[in-house]
Amino acid sequence: MSDLKEIFVNTQHCTGCLSCKLACAVQHSKNKDLFSALSQDPKPKSRLYVEWLWGNTKVPVLCRHCEDAPCVNACISGAITRAENNAVITNTDKCIGCWTCVMVCPYGVIGRDKDLKIAYRCDRCPDQDHPACVDACPTEALTYATVDKFSAEKRQAASREVAQGQGG
Amino acid sequence: MGRKYVIVGGSAAGMAAAHTIRKKDRNGNITVLSNEKAQPYFRPMIPYIINGKKRPDDIFLSGSGIFTQGGISVKTGFGAKSIDFQKKTVTTASGEAFLYDKILFSSGSTPYLPENIEGLDSEGVFSLKTLSDAQGMAKRSETATHVVMLGGGILNLKAAFALLEKKLSVTMVVYSPEVLSQLMDPKDAFPIRNALDNAGLNIITGISATQVLTDSSGVCGVALDNGSQIACQMVCVGKGVVPDTGFLNGNDIKIDKGIFSDPYTQTSIKDAYTAGDVAVAIDPVTGEKTVTSLWTHAVEMGICAGLNMTGSKTVYTGTLGIMNATQVADVPLVSMGIVHTKNSEYETHAKKTRLTYRKIVFSKDGTRLIGALFIGDIKNAGIYRYVIREKKNINGIKSHLINHTVHYGHFMQP
Ligand SMILES: Cc1cc2nc3c(=O)[nH]c(=O)nc-3n(C[C@H](O)[C@H](O)[C@H](O)COP(=O)(O)OP(=O)(O)OC[C@H]3O[C@@H](n4cnc5c(N)ncnc54)[C@H](O)[C@@H]3O)c2cc1C
Repeated sequence: MSDLKEIFVNTQHCTGCLSCKLACAVQHSKNKDLFSALSQDPKPKSRLYVEWLWGNTKVPVLCRHCEDAPCVNACISGAITRAENNAVITNTDKCIGCWTCVMVCPYGVIGRDKDLKIAYRCDRCPDQDHPACVDACPTEALTYATVDKFSAEKRQAASREVAQGQGG
Repeated sequence: MGRKYVIVGGSAAGMAAAHTIRKKDRNGNITVLSNEKAQPYFRPMIPYIINGKKRPDDIFLSGSGIFTQGGISVKTGFGAKSIDFQKKTVTTASGEAFLYDKILFSSGSTPYLPENIEGLDSEGVFSLKTLSDAQGMAKRSETATHVVMLGGGILNLKAAFALLEKKLSVTMVVYSPEVLSQLMDPKDAFPIRNALDNAGLNIITGISATQVLTDSSGVCGVALDNGSQIACQMVCVGKGVVPDTGFLNGNDIKIDKGIFSDPYTQTSIKDAYTAGDVAVAIDPVTGEKTVTSLWTHAVEMGICAGLNMTGSKTVYTGTLGIMNATQVADVPLVSMGIVHTKNSEYETHAKKTRLTYRKIVFSKDGTRLIGALFIGDIKNAGIYRYVIREKKNINGIKSHLINHTVHYGHFMQP
């Protein structure tokens, strides 16, 4: 297995504080600092989501950068590629906002930027050692680690579970 | 000597197969025959050639997305003319012969041109299918001031907007009661129709053309079945597409609308495979055979065919017959699965707001999600596609599906 790192989610640790969302939005803002991010117009966007479930479970939902990513296959403009760090990224110059990726993503983690009219998604913060969301998480609900064999199997099982078989 | 793979048609399906084969079989010889002059490109991007927002080299496949492998010989300008399945040879229109061990038919589709409209072969009449069609339209639109679009499908809408952006006046003649009738019931199309009207597209419905009128410079008008005529210098026909099986003989290989495919993308003949617009696939919702025109499906089926051709047996689980996402006149739209519910017994839930509309369709007994239409707000559309495709159990989440509050967390094991 390679030493490429991935973001892992442990829902049991998530308190729903939303620090990750804030950090993500700031990291993807123009100046990458909180104060100018707050006044940026249009507002910078978080690329991960925290959903609430029955009981009081909070679920951070973020791009899995799937092995066999449906969005890469579906993109009609060639904007979606796999980067060297194994992240699936959207090239904003090539994206035309056709929303095909939004239609095929089983996790619902590709957003629609209404101002720029293009899709946005997690890029795993390529300029940083750690993704901003992971750094911001106070409870280790989000961790950034290499894929050891065990978790690789877990992740593959998860992506098989959703993107089952080959199908359009 | 490596295995010889020949691929007929170098677009979404053919090139997805070629790149998949390359990854799996390092020694194989991969030859792609394409009867187009241009190297393979993202076909859905050609409207941007009409309005000049992209140049051809902006839209070539090579190096983007899954199309990153090398060592694939793409022979542009080579049309397959006949196949000898005994001798395992393809002969091209120019007389060359290619031997194969495995062959893929990925020849896609061609525009359907209705026979009851006269003069469709006139200069200035187009159907938007290839890069060269788009270049021809771009050229004609330099001098034309008025274009008539025949057909109100999604391709013609894209072409219409490209021409509107070039400041042509555009009239769309639609035989159906409303535009986009393939993707939604007429009464569901109102938000789109409003946006189209506001964008300056002139739409007339319930009318069809009978004849293209010409003078010495080609098209000069269109005659309609209500007796009126519209003057124009350009016509664009968008009446759907049909599988392109012209080079095959139905006595040799099973063709039923498109090329028959078994669950492993193999045709009725051993070592011959098919994928994309030309192939017949199964719709997992209706269980029926379907021929579609979807880039996403062509790529996925092409990948699957590539795997099978290298010996990795992989089932193609089919495609929803309707699975379209787009943005028309600044309005995002997703239509998937069964969305035509007029006079049906499906359980449907529609919700209209000032700027959005959605319709969620369940099976008659209400236990399965079978279709969804989103206009204006397409959030989490992929989750709906997943539930439709995989026939997910919707116990406990049905109200979230109806109210558009569903999220991925709902599918996690507790
Ligand atoms: C303007 C436009 C916009 C579109 N937008 C979308 C969209 O937004 N979303 C979407 O899902 N789909 C879209 N589509 C549809 C999508 O492009 C097709 O479904 C897809 O290209 C099908 O791929 P394919 O490989 O099966 O066949 P095709 O793309 O049709 O390619 C087949 C190729 O084979 C060649 N060929 C045919 N016969 C021979 C022969 N005998 N020898 C050699 N070569 C041959 C053809 O010339 C062609 O190059 C759009 C199509 C158009 C035209």
